[in-house]
Amino acid sequence: MRGSILGIILGMALVTFLPRFLPMALLSKWVLPEKVEMGLSYIPVAILATIVFPALFSDGARIGIYPQYLLTAFAIFIFAWKIKSLWGSVVLGMLIYWLLGFVI
Amino acid sequence: MNRSPFKEGVKAALPIVLGYLPVGLTFGMLARQVGLTSSEVALMSLFVYAGASQFLAIEMISRGMAGLSIILATFFINLRHLLMSSNLSLYFKNTRFLILGLLSAQLTDESYAVAISKLPEIENRPPYLFGLQVTSQLAWIGGSVAGTFVSSLAKGTEWGFPFALPALFICLLVLQIKSLRHLWVMVMAGIFSLFFKWALPGNWYILVTALLASGIGILIETARRGQ
Repeated sequence: MRGSILGIILGMALVTFLPRFLPMALLSKWVLPEKVEMGLSYIPVAILATIVFPALFSDGARIGIYPQYLLTAFAIFIFAWKIKSLWGSVVLGMLIYWLLGFVI
Repeated sequence: MNRSPFKEGVKAALPIVLGYLPVGLTFGMLARQVGLTSSEVALMSLFVYAGASQFLAIEMISRGMAGLSIILATFFINLRHLLMSSNLSLYFKNTRFLILGLLSAQLTDESYAVAISKLPEIENRPPYLFGLQVTSQLAWIGGSVAGTFVSSLAKGTEWGFPFALPALFICLLVLQIKSLRHLWVMVMAGIFSLFFKWALPGNWYILVTALLASGIGILIETARRGQ
């Protein structure tokens, strides 16, 4: 184990821990204003949309239109809306993506 | 049905495991190529446990960049967890400090998203969240360490695996659309995110977009109540 790598790992550990820990530690002890609680209740849908939408228009690295990605995503949207199954979505998503790879 | 909340959490983590294993494997393989040892990879996946930052770190290490710049980049990438942690704080009001430390150290985008999709079950039940997160992290550590032994003989991350995590997130997003207001917030966040991803450096678009879109949620809900 090299010291320089260990230093980087420990530094990264600290700066990843703080934003994960501080809000949970502090806010859980406070009574929050109504507007703040209301805003927090929209954070899940907002943050998930923020993760999902840009990913739809990229292949992981470059931005663009990737039919294999977009078509699979569309199918999973419909499936998840109707069936609401996490497992089903993941397995079906992998299957459709894999199959489309032969066509596109 | 399982009675132990820990076991329920473990079960809830399985879709994440399917997503983390191949990504962890890829990380391990790349880290190995950059010259990291298996124990260094294990330590990083244990203590840092942040996918995007770990990929960035090995990229920067391979280019010989300074440790401080790697740590600073990691800090900015992970600021988005501020919002997720704030949100989860609503559901662990009676939990002790030490337990909160343990739970929050394992917070990731994926475990957060699954946790809030299981809301009645996780509320004030740390063992549930712990089971969910510890299983996810074990998959990440296991995958990344295994990757250091695979070398590059298997480009073993094809098949449908590139779509495992996107599919998970799409389903979790759909599960969060609980009303017309949520649908509006989703649409606005979608539009903002595409714009800010293009307009802002790094990962800032996540924080900015999520805050703006939640703000719109507050406005819509307040307006409706006022009528």
